[in-house]
Amino acid sequence: MEKNILIEVKDLTKYFPITSGLIFQRIVAHVKAVDGVTFSIGKGETLGLVGESGCGKTTVGKCILQLYRPTSGSILFEDKDLCTLSENELRPLRQKLQVIFQDPYESLNPRFTAADIIGEPLRIHGTATGKAYRERVAELLDIVGLAPYMAERYPHEFSGGQRQRLGIARALALQPSFIVCDEPISALDVSIQAQIINLLGTLQDKFGIAYLFISHDLSVVRHISDRVAVMYLGKIMEISDRTELYKSPLHPYTQVLLSAVPIPDPEVEAQHVPIVLKGEVPTPINPPSGCVFHPRCPKAFEPCPTVIPALRDAGGGHQVACLLYSTSWP
Amino acid sequence: MAVAVETLRPHHTIWGDALIRLRRNRLAVVGVTFILLLALGAMLVPYVSPYPWDRQNYNIILQNPSWAHPFGTDNLGRDVITRLLYGARTSLQVGIFTQIIVVLVGIPIGAIAAAAGGRMDNIIMRFVDVMYAFPDLLLIILVRAILGPSIYMLFLAIGLVAWVNVARLVRGQILSLKQRDFITAARAMGASGPYITLRHLLPNSIGPVIVVLTFNVPRAIFAEAALSYIGIGANTPSWGTMIRDGYEVIFAAPHLVAFPALAVGILMLSFTFLGDGLRDALDPRLRR
Amino acid sequence: MTALLQVRNLSTYFHTQDGVVKAVDGVYYEVAKGETIALVGESGCGKTVSALSILRLIPEPPGKIVSGEVLFEGTDLLKLSQEEMRKVRGAEIAMIFQEPMTSLNPVLTIGRQISEALELHQQMTKQDAYKEALRLLELVGIPQAERRARDYPHQFSGGMRQRVMIAMAISCRPKLLIADEPTTAVDVTIQAQLLELVRGITRELGTSLILITHNLGVVARYARRVYVMYAGRIVEHGTAQAVYHDPQHPYTVGLLSSVPRLDEPRKTHLSTIEGQPPDLIFPPSGCPFHPRCAYAIPKCSKDRPELMEVEPAHYSACWVALQKPTPWKKIS
Repeated sequence: MEKNILIEVKDLTKYFPITSGLIFQRIVAHVKAVDGVTFSIGKGETLGLVGESGCGKTTVGKCILQLYRPTSGSILFEDKDLCTLSENELRPLRQKLQVIFQDPYESLNPRFTAADIIGEPLRIHGTATGKAYRERVAELLDIVGLAPYMAERYPHEFSGGQRQRLGIARALALQPSFIVCDEPISALDVSIQAQIINLLGTLQDKFGIAYLFISHDLSVVRHISDRVAVMYLGKIMEISDRTELYKSPLHPYTQVLLSAVPIPDPEVEAQHVPIVLKGEVPTPINPPSGCVFHPRCPKAFEPCPTVIPALRDAGGGHQVACLLYSTSWP
Repeated sequence: MAVAVETLRPHHTIWGDALIRLRRNRLAVVGVTFILLLALGAMLVPYVSPYPWDRQNYNIILQNPSWAHPFGTDNLGRDVITRLLYGARTSLQVGIFTQIIVVLVGIPIGAIAAAAGGRMDNIIMRFVDVMYAFPDLLLIILVRAILGPSIYMLFLAIGLVAWVNVARLVRGQILSLKQRDFITAARAMGASGPYITLRHLLPNSIGPVIVVLTFNVPRAIFAEAALSYIGIGANTPSWGTMIRDGYEVIFAAPHLVAFPALAVGILMLSFTFLGDGLRDALDPRLRR
Repeated sequence: MTALLQVRNLSTYFHTQDGVVKAVDGVYYEVAKGETIALVGESGCGKTVSALSILRLIPEPPGKIVSGEVLFEGTDLLKLSQEEMRKVRGAEIAMIFQEPMTSLNPVLTIGRQISEALELHQQMTKQDAYKEALRLLELVGIPQAERRARDYPHQFSGGMRQRVMIAMAISCRPKLLIADEPTTAVDVTIQAQLLELVRGITRELGTSLILITHNLGVVARYARRVYVMYAGRIVEHGTAQAVYHDPQHPYTVGLLSSVPRLDEPRKTHLSTIEGQPPDLIFPPSGCPFHPRCAYAIPKCSKDRPELMEVEPAHYSACWVALQKPTPWKKIS
């Protein structure tokens, strides 16, 4: 098992300073976007990262890619701690670590043709030139299911789903071993979402790529992930094997999330009473004491406001950060 | 099947698309036409006009428009339309050369400020603020006093006043583009800072810059005319000089003021129409 | 049940640089008193434009309502003067938009925004209107309403802003509420809160609701009848029960089977609808769905099918649906 780990994230923390003052800026507070997150991703595995907006899931992805420099913690990839490397030392590793974005229009340069976009990583790293370059671009177009004649078109001439295919082709260009998929389907139409999900699955089988699949859609995450982590206010609440997590969610937050998902079937929905949570997600500038979920938790009891629950194994690799499952607390 | 549906829509490059939209804008087309005709006249005037711009003829001073002199003659008996077309050379040169200076100074400074960020950005932009606050006329007079009265120094003086807007614009554009995902994507690919600035940030901020440059042209033309009017402008035929000279005899020969003033007005308006048209044509929001 | 709103043969076109976009092309639907219906479809299918056409909020130009009738309690809204229409908007028919931030005035406090509408439509005094605004804010579940009423829109979270929008929408007790993707911009837990709130309010006030969404789960939970839209047209309509369990249009069939479901065993591969949404300037001939349809027959590319009653009270615009049993039924 140890040998198959591709990326190991340990105690990752990212605070964004909030500054005040016009000339003499001073830090007045921190947004605790990610606060002590630990997980690992195996080779060719998909880890689903779910949570509501502002829970820090996108920040985790950007920290792994070193697009944000983490405040503390380590990210081990190929025996190196990415957090300690300089931008120049990172450059060769960036070929192996890629990203797909949510909004496929925003993530493509409007003045580049499709071929320019897909070939850009090859040009930057000097991987292929001349004939080899053109062949690779053509091959990538084909892999993601776009026609050769589309190579000379501009992003605005593609539909949303096709643009996302371009984004995927660009991410594949340098044969990465790991791709951060940041809400890759939430901006797409329902009928197109399934196409992209299937494409991502096929590519994983073909090239053995590992994904960090960031999403707020629990049904999609179940479909695509091998393991799933649930985040809330910068912390991981629960992390487990996919089947296990959806069959028997342990954390009250996971239970609420699952219950809130409407099932596309009126008969099922007629029977189903969702657990409706009180209130909204608190601000990550000043998160609640103890368990960050306790003010909204339907199952909170007396130690929750004071004791910070650690992420513990509840059996069979099913980890949960909740005092309900801890036999003793300090 | 889906392929067949797609090819129905014509395929355009970004610039081709902008050109199509520009051509649909009637005022912009009128503006461009006037500018081109004027430029053509200014270029050809030495070959087609029977009168040199400086030939004085005291027998025909202050004549009203006629077939021989369509715009009349001035108080030294010089042909007004010939002088007007020579003046157009000055005006168009001022319009173009000042914008070259603006581009050469404003774009790099704005881009460097935005790309560097932090303290560097702060220092550059405070300098830009100082330049912005400094009275334009005073600066131009200073530059003229130091660098001498050549027409090229006039271009330089006007250009050095006008770059500030473009530097601010470029900086703002780049700062907002930097937040876009395609820049993040380039960083994630391992692209270097200068590469991102040159390949992604600058090309995407060029549209609004072109628009501002187009709006800058009439301002520069007016600045030259105004400077010539108060006597610190060009020593070549200039619309500003012509207005000043004509002003002395405005009651005897009002056409001496009217024609150059009209020329300044129409040329400024033409560039403004063109700028408006370009703004609409280059705005990618209209097509998505 | 009597129909509160009947939309008949409504067509709204947009004139663009590239040609005429037939955003809504001959659409029919109706809402009974107190009923909740859903308009389902993907972006660009015309569901929002059809709703904006009801309120005559289409920007003109480039848009234009080219034909049809919108009968609201028997009156054709398309024939009203601008002045009469203003009295309908907000007072009789209210709308909740997807992005609440853009529909709130950033320089007015929340309390003022609601009370202003009340003064305008209900001729209330300033004090009464403000008191009513506070009551409405409490009704939609905004804690400490009195204090929050003095806040500005940017001080509210996305979910709270949407509650404010709901409060504004119901302030004049409209007979019809149109909710355009009301929960697309918010998280699942907030979505559940908001939709439960809207359901509670419409039930209590007997308001009819048109729910516009692309989320098939939300439709299943809240709507009694469903209209499925594709390329500016209604392609299927029936009770939610019938549409979900016995879909009569291959597009609906494709949509339903392409969504992974939490209550079913995980599939290794999702079934998909191939191809891309149609270009509305150059729509395909015949049935607009035929290039993507797995069941298309030669007739489909030639003749455009109109809505036909293929099962009792269940309509479909599909030639293949006339075959019994329908071919997709055999597969699933």
